[in-house]
Amino acid sequence: MSKQYLQTHTLASTQPAADIFSLAPTPTHLFVGSGSSSIKIYSTKGQVIHADTAADEHPYPLAQTLEKVHPLGAHHVCSSQDGKVAASAGFGGELKIWEISEDGTSWSARGDVVPQDKKKAGESWAIALSEDGKYLAAATHDGRINVYDTTTTASAADDKTATQRIAQYETKGSFGLSVDLSSNGAMTASGHQNGSIYIFNNSTQRLAHSLTGLLKPVRAVRFSPACKFLAAAGDARIIALYDTLSGEQVANFSGHASWVMSLDWNWSGEFLLCGGYDGKAKIWSVERKECVATQTESEKCLWSVRWLPKSASMRNETFVTAGAGGTLAFYREASGT
Amino acid sequence: MVTVEYDYKDFDDLLAGVELLKDSSQESLTNAAADIDLHDDDNDCLMHGEICSSTPKETDNLLSDELMDASPSFHKLGLSQLPLPDVSRETEDERSAPLPQAVSDTTANASHSSSSEPSNRSSMSVTGKIEAVFEEIADALLQEKNELTLTLLRRTRPQKVSAMSPIETNKPPQSVVSKRICFPGKTAEEAWRFTVVVRILELTHEALRNGTVLSKRDIYYRDPALFGKQAHVDRYVDDIAFTFGVQRSKLNVTAVAKGLISGAINICRRDGSIVEASSDREGMLVPSLRDVLSINMTAVRWILVVEKEATFRSIAASTFWDMISAQGVMLTAKGYPDIASRAFLRWLSTSSPRNGFASPPVYGLVDFDPDGLAILSIYKHGSIRLAHENADLCVPQMQWLGLRREHMMIGGDDLHASQGLLSLTARDRRKAVKMLERCATQGNDAELQVRAALQDMLMLNTKAELQLLDAVPDGMTRLLMSKLGIL
Repeated sequence: MSKQYLQTHTLASTQPAADIFSLAPTPTHLFVGSGSSSIKIYSTKGQVIHADTAADEHPYPLAQTLEKVHPLGAHHVCSSQDGKVAASAGFGGELKIWEISEDGTSWSARGDVVPQDKKKAGESWAIALSEDGKYLAAATHDGRINVYDTTTTASAADDKTATQRIAQYETKGSFGLSVDLSSNGAMTASGHQNGSIYIFNNSTQRLAHSLTGLLKPVRAVRFSPACKFLAAAGDARIIALYDTLSGEQVANFSGHASWVMSLDWNWSGEFLLCGGYDGKAKIWSVERKECVATQTESEKCLWSVRWLPKSASMRNETFVTAGAGGTLAFYREASGT
Repeated sequence: MVTVEYDYKDFDDLLAGVELLKDSSQESLTNAAADIDLHDDDNDCLMHGEICSSTPKETDNLLSDELMDASPSFHKLGLSQLPLPDVSRETEDERSAPLPQAVSDTTANASHSSSSEPSNRSSMSVTGKIEAVFEEIADALLQEKNELTLTLLRRTRPQKVSAMSPIETNKPPQSVVSKRICFPGKTAEEAWRFTVVVRILELTHEALRNGTVLSKRDIYYRDPALFGKQAHVDRYVDDIAFTFGVQRSKLNVTAVAKGLISGAINICRRDGSIVEASSDREGMLVPSLRDVLSINMTAVRWILVVEKEATFRSIAASTFWDMISAQGVMLTAKGYPDIASRAFLRWLSTSSPRNGFASPPVYGLVDFDPDGLAILSIYKHGSIRLAHENADLCVPQMQWLGLRREHMMIGGDDLHASQGLLSLTARDRRKAVKMLERCATQGNDAELQVRAALQDMLMLNTKAELQLLDAVPDGMTRLLMSKLGIL
């Protein structure tokens, strides 16, 4: 049995040749980090299936633009699961924390993450926020993972106070391509250029597992919603599933024709969404270990794919893909209404 | 003694009727010779060395009298046979003495040749400028000043050239540092620097007078003990050219060409010979433009510029090249391009009477890495270091053929192809970020593509080398055919 997904909306890029590198959905908004210097925030609240008004036909209006916050472009954006905190990382090495306003409509800067000793900290690349947004994990160019307390960020430009670092995990020195924090806060996972994957225990602050199986760069690691599994994928073109307690590989899904750039679990943990370098997005059923749907918007590389968080108004699951070419494509599961 | 050969050479320029490149140093030399013609007594002076040295004019009076007896070699004209070997063996202090001697010869001659318009001369020809510098030094010695001074303009890297692309060739670099070098100066190093500059000035002046061309290596090997490293020569030659506000070629200093070309062009040289660039499969060296009269490009429909020599050779050796070589030209500068190759490429691609008014499209094939894009940028817009020379060297219409992001997957799972894919090193990443800083956020498509490519490289943390195409059967062929539009 395969699932059907329909493309519901596309938002084409207004600027030419600005790739979208990263997506971070919250219950109310969608953060879009791209090659342009501004971060766009779209509203994902008002979703109706049948349009009653003209406004409803465009359920993803641009809510806010964080102008020129990353002059060289932003390569990673992430959000906390509770939807209150977001973070963005730019090509120039800057890390910024954002928080939502009291009424939940607009975002403002909380501050920059400034490490105490830049040399010791390393240059940040991939980032991930904890469930409540209190902790930010950042993987560096030389394979370290720093975990910062986001409440201690430097708020003003001249604020010299360093952001407090809760933990630093050192690995063998290979470029840290991806990082994730489990939703229960217990574990941190990282994927590296040399194919290594690590799981760290946050309470003991030690390495829990060193996972094998993928020999090529690991571009995405994600914990399942219940934190039982870790999915990892990359240039090896297979998605590997590991049990987080034992560290054993329990499954792998092959079928992608090109490098896997991004992956995401749906809210129930039943389906995995993966985006590839060839522009194809695939949805895998974890239980049946097979691909149940493939969507292609274009041949351009998909840098980031994400499920939109399930909300009461949303009857069918929706996901969004984005990549080279700068187009956001929204898909919704087709089902009998 | 009188050097009769010297005189004939001078008149050769007058009489030869060779077509001169506009603004060439030969032109200025010829003008200088023409001036000599106008003054009969000056002519006599040149013929008889003794007379010249014994009838000094204007400011050189006392100096030449004083120094005349100091060295037996004083009577020789021109700098070429001057006490060069002696100089290198002497100490630094003594070094300064013979040079002004020689200077007084040339300044004497110069003043003869340009007695009618002294100030205008020096503002127009490089020879005159050098001689003006020497005159100043001679003056200082004459007046028994404590220090001799030179002022050199040093090119500095513009600080943050953000949002500025292409490199604006008409504006001067953002900061020009003017350095005064004194002799003997405060340190031994300063004295050494003074000597180096004066030496280079002397050697280039000689080259200009004799109409010969020096390479930077030649200059270095004239006096390795003084210069120390080739890099010093390189730097000071460029600084001197920049101070005078001219291109390095006007100093009659060229770098030895390292570029290779192959394809459907015929080069007509000054000596009358015609060379076919297709004759040698290995490619021929890019000729010095001074030797070239014109290039026949009637068969050329495109120009392909390749970053690496290895790629150049593998294309030239392929059967595919046999099919297409009659329609185009391939050029490589073996990495970062030198001035000779850039000048040649500009000649080929810019419509002018000397290339049959041809302006074929130019395609660049470089690695997908920050260095590849930097090389492309230098061909297109010029280099930052030599920004003052860029106007005549850049080829802004060059198109980026590859490698591009979509070519990364060409190899699939092939082991050999995957060897063409490497991780970015820390240096690569730093370079990519620096280049991103200099990239414009607005601009035409081509510039935005370069910016996007740099971001892609950083995201993928992977670079692709041209060898990748060789590993895939027909990989290179397909890529070239897609753009070169043949067959």
